[in-house]
Amino acid sequence: MTEAAAATLAERVEDALRLVIDPEIGYNIVDLGLVYDVAVEADGAARITMTTTTRGCPATDMLRAGVRIRAQGVAGVRDVAIELTYDPPWTPRMMSAEAKAFLGVADAEDD
Amino acid sequence: MIGVTISRWTMSYFAAALASLVAALVLMASGYGFPSDPIRAPETLVVVHLVAIGWLSLLMCGALFQFVPVLVAYPIHSNALPLPALVCLAGGLAALILGFRQLAAPVGPEIPYLALAAVSLVAGFALVLWNLGRTLWAARPLPLPARFVVVGLAGIAATAGFGAIFALVLGGATANPHLVEAAAAGLPIHAVAGIGGWLTFTAMGVSYRLLAMFMLAPEHDRAGTGAVFYLGAASLAVVVLGGVAAICAGRTLTIVLSVAAVLGLAALGLYGRDMIHLYRVRRRRAIELNSRMAGVALANLAAAVALTLALLGAGAFDRHVGAVVFLAAFGWLSGLGLAKLYKIVAFLTWLESYGPVLGKAATPRVQDLVVERRAARWFLLYFVAVAGGTVALLADAPLAFRGLAGVMATATSGIVVELLRIRRLADVAVALRLPDGVHRPLLLVSRARQA
Repeated sequence: MTEAAAATLAERVEDALRLVIDPEIGYNIVDLGLVYDVAVEADGAARITMTTTTRGCPATDMLRAGVRIRAQGVAGVRDVAIELTYDPPWTPRMMSAEAKAFLGVADAEDD
Repeated sequence: MIGVTISRWTMSYFAAALASLVAALVLMASGYGFPSDPIRAPETLVVVHLVAIGWLSLLMCGALFQFVPVLVAYPIHSNALPLPALVCLAGGLAALILGFRQLAAPVGPEIPYLALAAVSLVAGFALVLWNLGRTLWAARPLPLPARFVVVGLAGIAATAGFGAIFALVLGGATANPHLVEAAAAGLPIHAVAGIGGWLTFTAMGVSYRLLAMFMLAPEHDRAGTGAVFYLGAASLAVVVLGGVAAICAGRTLTIVLSVAAVLGLAALGLYGRDMIHLYRVRRRRAIELNSRMAGVALANLAAAVALTLALLGAGAFDRHVGAVVFLAAFGWLSGLGLAKLYKIVAFLTWLESYGPVLGKAATPRVQDLVVERRAARWFLLYFVAVAGGTVALLADAPLAFRGLAGVMATATSGIVVELLRIRRLADVAVALRLPDGVHRPLLLVSRARQA
């Protein structure tokens, strides 16, 4: 797989993850900024780096499972590795403009 | 460690708690206990313990089994212990109520209900302490909200300890002079450790985290938050340790309670400042019903503090202590409890129902399980009735108080119906309600399934 093809595949994986919502906030985890990185290797192995809104969130395992299922369902993806990280910790500033507007979330200086 | 799971028995605790609250309110509306009976009458003790143990303590225990793991990001020590703890606590409460009724009208077989209550309640709270204590110990170093919980757990240990002494002495199971002396003088310690330490201090700690989570407010530790913790912990230490020392030395508790009150009021003042800050810096401008109602409960806490100071200034605190305790128990603690229940039940029901199909099918949001506009009317009615009930107590108007307690019972029943609808997924749009693999949850027990 070429680099360009891998990048395209990563974009498709990211799109697929938009079906997974954070249940508490009620918006998809990609636009909430909970997916820090999606990378696909030349052999089709996807590596997803993600977080949750708060450490110890009871939905953590379910979110990871949902991400795995959605990524594995993308044609061309051979394997999925998920890394959960809290560095950096998530803040509302990481949301997309659309998510902020939809949820009525304000920006602030001290995030 | 990641992988906090759904607490299987938390819904059972919530159901028992709500049943106790409704029962207590119906009793109050029917003229059972204070103010129709004296404040220390057995009838009043029935209502007080139905609220303190049956409603608030079971609510707190059920919530802590789910949220201590969230606070410390570490799994609960045992998912098996909450059930026997619930059986012990519910059985102990039943025995306690029967024991108080026996004191009021000594008829029927001479079963030592109060001694049985002491054993059962101490066993139940010991199981709770062991389970939560082991979880917290394993998760050290603890974040600040979890340290509030540790102090709260120390508060319930002291409360249950004194409660057991009262039960054994009142029930005639012991005539040990030291225990009789402790029972005669220890009521303020029992009450402050229970309402101030166990219930209020724990609620304060959890509120820092839950309100920040639900309103998307930054969780930065402010300098004042540490002061809230140390002042509050010091206040409770003075009450419990200083109080025990004073009783052993044959002194009154006046100085101990005065010092503790100054420390406690300072802690509450700084806590109020933190909460105002939390609401101001929230990122979610339009907040959900649970956060709005938690704000009303916090205002009730401020009102209870203001009322205490006003009554102390007027030299009328002793005469109106019932009104202060009522406002703290129903405006602050119960108001916060009902508000957070409305969120927690929806959240846990979502996790149980839709979590396992996340990624497999389109799922509703947690907010799709509730109809806030309908529930808001019940909350409004509840808080208005609490305010009216407080005024009725201050005005020595027991009939008006009974009517308002009836309104509170109605409003609480309305909230219970809303919680049942959440649990049955009744308000979820039909198209999203039951995708493949989703089943309606059981009302009283959570079934955690693997994805």
